[in-house]
Amino acid sequence: MKLLRSFFWAAIAFAAAVCLGGIAIFRGERINSAWLVVAAGCAYATGYRFYGKFIATRVLALDDQRATPAERLRNGQDFEPTNKWILFGHHFAAIAGPGPLVGPVLAAQFGYLPGTLWIVIGAVLGGAVQDLIILFASMRRDGKSLGQMAREEIGKAGGFAATVTVLLITIIMLAVMALVVVNALRGSPWGTFTIAATMPIAVFMGLYLRYWRPAKVLECSAIGFALLVAAILGGRAVAQSASLAPWFTLSALALAGAVIVYGFLASALPVWLLLAPRDYLSTFVKLGVVLMLAAGIALVRPQLQLPAFTRFVDGTGPIFAGKIFPFCFITIACGAVSGFHSLIASGTTPKMIAKEGHALPLGYGAMLAESFVAMMALIAACTLQPGVYFAVNSPAGLVGATPQAAAAAISSWGFPVSAAGMADLARDVGEKTLFARTGGAPSLALGMAHIFAGGTPFGAGGRLAIGFWYHFAIMFEALFILTIIDAGTRVGRFMLQDLLGHAWKPLGRTSWMPGVTAASAAMVMAWGYFLIQGVRDPLGGINSLWPLFGIANQLLAAIALCLATTILVKMHGLKFVWITCAPLGWLVTVTFTAAWQKIFSPAPAIGFLAQAAHLEASLRAGAAGSPAAAVEALIFNARLDAAVCGILLLLVAVILVDSLRLWIGILRGVREPRLRESPFVVSRLHMEEL
Amino acid sequence: MNRLRRMGKLAWALLRELADESAYQRRLRAQGRRDSPEEWRRFTEERYQARFTRSKCC
Repeated sequence: MKLLRSFFWAAIAFAAAVCLGGIAIFRGERINSAWLVVAAGCAYATGYRFYGKFIATRVLALDDQRATPAERLRNGQDFEPTNKWILFGHHFAAIAGPGPLVGPVLAAQFGYLPGTLWIVIGAVLGGAVQDLIILFASMRRDGKSLGQMAREEIGKAGGFAATVTVLLITIIMLAVMALVVVNALRGSPWGTFTIAATMPIAVFMGLYLRYWRPAKVLECSAIGFALLVAAILGGRAVAQSASLAPWFTLSALALAGAVIVYGFLASALPVWLLLAPRDYLSTFVKLGVVLMLAAGIALVRPQLQLPAFTRFVDGTGPIFAGKIFPFCFITIACGAVSGFHSLIASGTTPKMIAKEGHALPLGYGAMLAESFVAMMALIAACTLQPGVYFAVNSPAGLVGATPQAAAAAISSWGFPVSAAGMADLARDVGEKTLFARTGGAPSLALGMAHIFAGGTPFGAGGRLAIGFWYHFAIMFEALFILTIIDAGTRVGRFMLQDLLGHAWKPLGRTSWMPGVTAASAAMVMAWGYFLIQGVRDPLGGINSLWPLFGIANQLLAAIALCLATTILVKMHGLKFVWITCAPLGWLVTVTFTAAWQKIFSPAPAIGFLAQAAHLEASLRAGAAGSPAAAVEALIFNARLDAAVCGILLLLVAVILVDSLRLWIGILRGVREPRLRESPFVVSRLHMEEL
Repeated sequence: MNRLRRMGKLAWALLRELADESAYQRRLRAQGRRDSPEEWRRFTEERYQARFTRSKCC
């Protein structure tokens, strides 16, 4: 039996090596997406079985005999021992966000290979390791948050820097996510109507749950979902109506204003009315679509149309500027390593784990599942014709504002596309144009629509089906991005009030209305400013904001890995420190290089300061081509982005230095390696099947 | 067949957990109270207060 098992795992590892090697080495022929799926699946299985299990048993020594906080502090609410598969779904739903969907789509500008390799390798050796160790650490500390653990285990300076960094990262994240939605809905009456309809649907659900059928969340969500589908179908009629379509055909600036107002209202209104029902709906739609996409790819097995590498590996990409190293890694971000997971892994999940051994499937396994979502997004983007992919994702400021100019520019790069072909495609999906729909969401929606409509049972109906699935995918992306924006604004408001409360106590009170309103407005204004900056950017905003978001996210992962390393140093000295130091070293190298290039690169397309200098020179020479005030705003924004990048680097450098001092102190015997774990209590659940 | 039924049960339990319906039932049991609109309101106020003060994943 043991021999058979060894053969089985050898075969899985061999399949992973053959598929990854095959797609990396062979060139010149189109490959099927099944290669990527098998390569990723087998690599994840091997990584989970050997590396994940090694960390869980030998390094962290997960012990089912030790009672978890869910058992010791059981209160029937937050602390409750939960079946591992239920908790897996719960945890996966919490960590799966739009990042792993959008990032790989944008990174596909380098071709399918760089993204594929980093999604698999990064997740197995970095992202899943981070998630597992932070989940373990929080579980052993009664479900404490990342900030609390950083304060206790590293020091006060590190803890404070971590709190400020999280606030800053939240602001950047909200701005860039809002920009993705704005770019997807700009000039699209169908999409705008559908998303606008989600607000009254959510309010209806809120009232339904509060007054008409309390506690019937599943019933209410089913009704909400039916209304959503009706809204998608109704959106088509709205887009075709001469009188209604203009009401829902909004410019990017108008949409940005609407999203900002929505963020403020959602942050200040009672949670039960808007946030909570949207959150339920978004969670169910998200899980359903991820499963559907997996089923669609398995059924259709589409051919990849993008090459392994494109000419943009040289750093001249139209979607974002910069070479594969470091920009591919910070662009993919959450699909391989996500700093935000450390906030989730130190939140609800550790309070619900029934047995310590469950931390392996929850921490390591759920990250691998999220990485697989990133792989599916990459596949969906790469199944588009390269010309179409670049036409959708290239900003008008770079390829030209007319379809003919854009088609000519993109075709000249070696990716043929025609204005007429794009117009047909736009008509098929019910849009006026698909040129310059930057942000990743529309191209992902196109890829998903082709997969759903191109060979699955959902594809009946031809053109109508493609239009429906395109807008279904847009609705799905916008729905859960807006859920992040509303909840994120509220969370940011709490963080801000927490910080401001140190300066003046009443501002810290979450029940004091003037403080609540001021903090909500400040939070909305902070991310709203970056959003407007992105909307007004002639290059579409993604070129500057997504790298900033990627850097911020990966820096948060570096903070989490600092904490993870501190815990390993305290547990084992130097013995296992390579497990977290290897991904930490890589992330620090990648993020610091990317941030340095974004601030100081002499190329205006990459460096913020060079961009400001270039615009200033154009303004002085009278060749800016835009009103002086607009160019001056662009100059200020480029300098602001450079400053934000610099502040983030500084904050993370503080945490790194603080951690390093502690590690050296412990290893030299000067500092006490005291772990702040909860005391050992024998579990009464360890024999039970959970 | 049994395995399928078990998977179906798990999926249903997951949906109920995501919908907070299980947590509500647990609370009623733990506190020995009966289901009522007021009880649900009290439960959601506490639940949402905790949930929406934490960051969401990107």
